[in-house]
Amino acid sequence: MNQPMMPTMKRTLCCLPILLLTHCEESQSINEGVPPVPSVTEATTTSEVTDPTRAVVRITTTRQRWNPGQPWEKQPPRKRRSLGAVVEGPRVITSAEMVADATFIELETTDGLKRTAASVVAVDYEANLALLEVEGEDKDDFFEEIEVLEIAETPPAPGDPLTIIQVEDNGNSITTSGPIQSVEVVSSFLPSQYFLTYEVKASMQSAGSSFTLPVTHDGALAGLLTSYNSKDQLSDVGATEVLLRFMEDAADGEYVGFPSLGIGTSSTDDSNFREFLKLTDDVGGIYVSKVRKDGSADKAGLKVGDVITRIDSHDIDRLGYFEHERYGRLFWSHLVRGSKATGTELAIEILRDGEPQTLTVTLERQAVEDQLVPAYTFGTAPNFLIKGGMLFQELSESLLQAFGDEWETRAPLDLLDAWQNPSDYEDEAERVVFLSGVIATPATVGYEPLRNLIVEEVNGTPIRDMKSLIEAFNNPPGDGLHAIKFRDEDILIYLDEVASTAVDTQLIQRGITRLSRAE
Amino acid sequence: MIRLLLFAVLITFASAADRLPSDVYRSVVRIEAAVQIPDYATPWNSGRFSGGIGTGFIIGENRILTNAHVVSNARRLLITVHGSPIKYPAKVDFIAHDCDLALLSVEDFSDFSQFPVFEIGGVPELESQVRVIGYPVGGQRLSVTRGVVSRIDFSSYSHSRADQHLVIQIDAAINPGNSGGPVLQNGEVIGVAFQGRRDADNTGYIIPTPVITRFLKDIEDGRYDHYVDLAVSTFPLFNEAMREALKMPDDGNGVLVSNVIANGSCDGILKPGDILVSIDGNPIDSAGQILIDGSKVDLNEIVERKFAGDTVALRYRSDGTWHDRDVELKPLPQNRMYAVQYEKKPRYIVFAGMVFQPLDTNLFATAKFDDLHVRRLYQDYLPKGIFTEREDIVILTRIESDPINSQLSGFTGHVVDKINGVKVKTLKQAHELLHPETQPEFHVIELLGARRPVVIPGDEVDAANERVQRTYAIERLANLEE
Repeated sequence: MNQPMMPTMKRTLCCLPILLLTHCEESQSINEGVPPVPSVTEATTTSEVTDPTRAVVRITTTRQRWNPGQPWEKQPPRKRRSLGAVVEGPRVITSAEMVADATFIELETTDGLKRTAASVVAVDYEANLALLEVEGEDKDDFFEEIEVLEIAETPPAPGDPLTIIQVEDNGNSITTSGPIQSVEVVSSFLPSQYFLTYEVKASMQSAGSSFTLPVTHDGALAGLLTSYNSKDQLSDVGATEVLLRFMEDAADGEYVGFPSLGIGTSSTDDSNFREFLKLTDDVGGIYVSKVRKDGSADKAGLKVGDVITRIDSHDIDRLGYFEHERYGRLFWSHLVRGSKATGTELAIEILRDGEPQTLTVTLERQAVEDQLVPAYTFGTAPNFLIKGGMLFQELSESLLQAFGDEWETRAPLDLLDAWQNPSDYEDEAERVVFLSGVIATPATVGYEPLRNLIVEEVNGTPIRDMKSLIEAFNNPPGDGLHAIKFRDEDILIYLDEVASTAVDTQLIQRGITRLSRAE
Repeated sequence: MIRLLLFAVLITFASAADRLPSDVYRSVVRIEAAVQIPDYATPWNSGRFSGGIGTGFIIGENRILTNAHVVSNARRLLITVHGSPIKYPAKVDFIAHDCDLALLSVEDFSDFSQFPVFEIGGVPELESQVRVIGYPVGGQRLSVTRGVVSRIDFSSYSHSRADQHLVIQIDAAINPGNSGGPVLQNGEVIGVAFQGRRDADNTGYIIPTPVITRFLKDIEDGRYDHYVDLAVSTFPLFNEAMREALKMPDDGNGVLVSNVIANGSCDGILKPGDILVSIDGNPIDSAGQILIDGSKVDLNEIVERKFAGDTVALRYRSDGTWHDRDVELKPLPQNRMYAVQYEKKPRYIVFAGMVFQPLDTNLFATAKFDDLHVRRLYQDYLPKGIFTEREDIVILTRIESDPINSQLSGFTGHVVDKINGVKVKTLKQAHELLHPETQPEFHVIELLGARRPVVIPGDEVDAANERVQRTYAIERLANLEE
């Protein structure tokens, strides 16, 4: 849902030269109404940091993803390295990218003398932040000589110098200073997840084979650098506001995540369009082009065709930007995703048919688990079913990505349609279950060409997710022949229960570890 | 019958010289084509002028057979004969893009009248030797190569990209310029050289005689009617569970009808779920194949040999009842959506600088549409009967900059859904909707998948059209006929 909901922003941002570099996190409450972060701020006042390089640790993670084509097994493991910032707890902040699908996370002191395993306390793949901790008795020993960084109380402003911390393999630290060149709302790790980001101009070298690095401002942690473009010497550093919001959310041990309005918007800079919408020159406003069903905006009554003129007392201009007191012009989405907690109320002023109205939106979050086609599936094993050699899977964006770099044009149209227009499917299903392929077996003779077909019914039962598919197959009709109905197909495909059970037994003998997963 | 007699007379007349293999060289002509290729990106422009060389051969009184692709989009055709410098102007009498054949004539046939006439033979045996005569690249004069028949199969005809017919593969070299040339065995034509492939050596493809004779018969009435189509999709029935569920005996016969195309030959007769067991008395096996002349071929081979208005006898089971029915065959013009078009003037509308064009394979190849709606409508156009509601899929292909549209971006490559509230079904209708008797306050153009409607103030349209026409040298702001 996220991708199609934000076309305007994507387009706007494409004009900016920084898109490829987008990556950063830093957070601070820009709204005075937001309470301060208790634990973190207190910690910062008590710890005296002299050398920021003493408050970082090396992180090595082993990443292992599930094989999209053979979901019962994993792909070969790969290792990644980064530098993490040690904060109060002591806990370690790194990017979500580092811990995505991690099977093992190891911390190492920069002098290489101590190592320990760590676990994830909170992770936000959208904002690209993760908080790690060390459990058990290793903890005190590991952190014994490590300093703790406070998180910057006052977020840096454009022009302020930031310090990027690197550590070479031999343990020597390198610090690079560079000014914040601009502040933008861009995407980082995941596409179409837009967060406030500092663009820092600084010339760096590679050290410790990583460009996931802590960044400080006046000796306090300002954010994480997540990408560096050596050609332009520009880095993306996540904004302090986002980091603070993340820490605040994670403080109670139950991380929720950032809210969203669930809308797509379009600029109103076209004078003909403005005239058509009866917009006067003294208002800006963005046109609502899409409203996700049951999203925050939908529940508050926002409709396609409305023009949003103010969000949270900020005027929105014709291109969707507002004037931020510290950073200048920022895209409106930062007013929703960046500093606001899920559950916060927000006033949105709109023009509907030329008439002003104010809507109060309770900001909610669409959990990735609640998406028809989940935007990401890190850390979750894919659901699947093998029946007589037919392989059924639940559609996710990561499965679509398995169609290659140009998956948005290469993946099968029926699957892309479900991904792009989930509302056409959501009434009928929680997940899109599809036949992803057919393993040639005696039970699937003649079925080999079938693939990428969305399952509508099995044995007359509508299929809502993998669980319901497995249940439907558990109730074979009297004649022992399962009847499978695919979406938009007029014929039924049959599978013999006895033959497919025999076949599945052989598949297990041939090394397929399990025949189904529905979790 | 008349045609065969004519051949017989001519052959006896020229029989003395016929013994020399080189005598037929005179009847293999070099075709020089000057062509004009329409430009679908800027459809008001003249397009590109270019040219090519091909081969043709005399099959009767002022009848010269060649490939359609040799003479497609031709503006001038010149024919030369082996050993003569004279260039004879020629014209296309019949052209069949779906089977890549064309029949030409020259203005004055008298210089050719003493030349031998090629007789159309049968289908050669595998491994039998053939020779290919033509004017391929590498020299000006006639070239002859030899090879054997490697394979006889159904395969794609690359000229239209959408058609499959019988093809013979030989191992003689067939190179550019050979196209349209005769392939001979025992003095008879057993095929027309027409395509090769880049990914394999020693493969050349020729159009076999069943396709040639079908073409020649089709045009006997003075026009080419195209192939006819059953317009159904079938699913094989060799899975035991399928047969059991459908209560079909285990005799290896019958295919399941999976889709019936609207307005096609079988619309209203067959429906999805029916089981087709024989066609013109030939049992259909569970893979959809029938046995003709001792070899297994697709059941559509029966239809391939028929003409518009012919009938085909189908035996099928529908809702448990067996039916025998003669089905009248007709062409499936909508499948041209997937075929490269020739001899057509691209249709378009220019309105306030916006260019609207109907989707077809030519446009798709030019514009490379990524939009999901465009690709789905294209894919579903025939099988799901999209053409019944949208005969033309009208696309906003480009915007020529003008003050009236300078603030429009991100709208090209989308399908026009509605104009001023009315669903767009054809380009002509779109043109009418954009040119009402009185200009509305705003023209509102809704595009599938766009973020907002495109809005053009009615009172500024005429001035904008005039500016665009002048600035971009667009002679006509619309072409609604092909």
